[in-house]
Amino acid sequence: MSSPILEGRALVKSYDEGRVAALRGVDITIEAGEYVTISGPSGSGKSTLLHMLGGLDVPNSGEVLFRGSLLGKTVDLDTFRSCQVGFIFQAFHLLPTLRAVENVQVAMLAMNSRANHRLERATALLEEMGLKDRLKHFPNELSAGERQRVAIARALANDPTILLADEPTGNLDSVNSANIMEILRGIREQRGMTLVIVTHENEIAASAPRHIRIRDGRIEA
Amino acid sequence: MASQLSFTGFAWKNLRRRRLRTLLTLCGITMGIGAFVALVGFSRSFEHEWLRLYQSSGTDIAVLQSSLFNSSLDESLGARIRALPQVAAVAPLVFNLIDLTPDVNALVYGWPADSYELDSLRFTSGTRFRAGQPEVVLGDLLAQNLNKKPGDTITILGETFTVTGIFHGGTALETGAVIMPLDQMQIISSREGQVTAFHVRLRPTPAGESYDHYVKRVQTEIEALEPGVRAEAAAERAGNNQIVDLAHSVAWGTSSIALLIGIVGIANTMAMSVFERTREIGILRALGWKGRHVILLILTEAAGLGFAGGLLGIVVGWGALRILSIMPQTASVVSTSVSPVHLFESLLIAIGSGLVAGAYPAWRGARLSPVEALRYE
Repeated sequence: MSSPILEGRALVKSYDEGRVAALRGVDITIEAGEYVTISGPSGSGKSTLLHMLGGLDVPNSGEVLFRGSLLGKTVDLDTFRSCQVGFIFQAFHLLPTLRAVENVQVAMLAMNSRANHRLERATALLEEMGLKDRLKHFPNELSAGERQRVAIARALANDPTILLADEPTGNLDSVNSANIMEILRGIREQRGMTLVIVTHENEIAASAPRHIRIRDGRIEA
Repeated sequence: MASQLSFTGFAWKNLRRRRLRTLLTLCGITMGIGAFVALVGFSRSFEHEWLRLYQSSGTDIAVLQSSLFNSSLDESLGARIRALPQVAAVAPLVFNLIDLTPDVNALVYGWPADSYELDSLRFTSGTRFRAGQPEVVLGDLLAQNLNKKPGDTITILGETFTVTGIFHGGTALETGAVIMPLDQMQIISSREGQVTAFHVRLRPTPAGESYDHYVKRVQTEIEALEPGVRAEAAAERAGNNQIVDLAHSVAWGTSSIALLIGIVGIANTMAMSVFERTREIGILRALGWKGRHVILLILTEAAGLGFAGGLLGIVVGWGALRILSIMPQTASVVSTSVSPVHLFESLLIAIGSGLVAGAYPAWRGARLSPVEALRYE
């Protein structure tokens, strides 16, 4: 039997010298190609859990495994983030001084790929996102929906196996939300990627075959 | 075609983000490198001019007392040096840096009227001076600054001298100099019977012996003539006299301070830049940038500032040297020639300064926790 693509074991995380507990012993398993949503109230620990699974943060105790190998020990966190994971954030987090196509390339700068290849890939991804006419636009010249599509293209730049989205529609209107969710689901189906979305929107949470609810740092279902 | 992003292109865009701050930082490093180019260039050109001075006159050995400033030798020593079989000619001299006007000072030499060193000067007008007469010849640059021509008079240490000729010397030390009969120089500087040094021209190097060995051998023989006398090969003398040493020390000391100010400027800019971009660094880390990529980015920006400041500093420093070389107060000791090695060295120092200044901010940037940085407002 093959290992799950991601596995969290007894994850504990607290902040403010232990006074604020974000995760209180979370166990979670995500299979390759799975589409999972994680929902819960504000401060429930859902984003913290996503950060742990993506190697952005480390637990106080417990461990995260990628295909059975321990993150931060057997698997280098930086290499994991650059090669295996694509992050999408609520606030888009595009670099304001870079054009759309440059924002996508910046993810590939650390990968020792050729400059021509970086440009071609960034252009192709943005075209796939329907942004062919927005390649040279700066983030402040794009709508919120367009910015999130640039962020999705950037998350796909290094051809990751896992896409982690933290409230990807949190700053969007309903039309753009639906559009972004359609894009994310389409990407997963076409590329066979693992998709994990953190959301507080019930409709999005329910759209996944598997929905995990989290409250006070513990998984409910 | 859309924009291709390179690592250096990204660094450049970051520097352009705060243009005024980048410009002010550039000014700091430009001033530091400019001071280095001008001051160290000046001291090195000064040394170089000394060497050329010896070379143009064909001097092989300089004979003097322990130090240049107070070197005083008995004039009669010249005859004993001349008696050595390897010696072709001996030129005694007295020299000093003297104020000619409140604004103009110049090297004033006293040479015998028949000194072999006069043969290396090319007279553009007038004639040489005569022994025992209150006459002088002027370097063309000094003559121009003082607006003097043959037949005019000039007052030196209260004595009036007639200008008999204008010459073009091969070095800045000559073109800005006054040369008068040795006996006249001894009188006005109260050094009758004494000289500052002897310049010695040797006969051709014997077959089978190297020039260096030959010079060394004669040096030993000259030093054996009288205790306390030092004979130095001309090439060594150029780089090993107290005026040159002093010029080097002042130049390095002053430009080091200026460079330090430039380094602090870059360090401040890079530290501020890292602070302001905390969240962006978090984004880059989230995208898989390793700590070393963040370090490389910040160091590229800092080195870029150093490089640009270095180029501008070279232009400023060279411009300063040009101005010094035509100013009456300094023309006699400054030439505009700056060696390519010195310019390359300046550029390396500028880039090195940038790297040193960027090291700590880069280290700090690389140590930022990705998730903490992303939360940063």
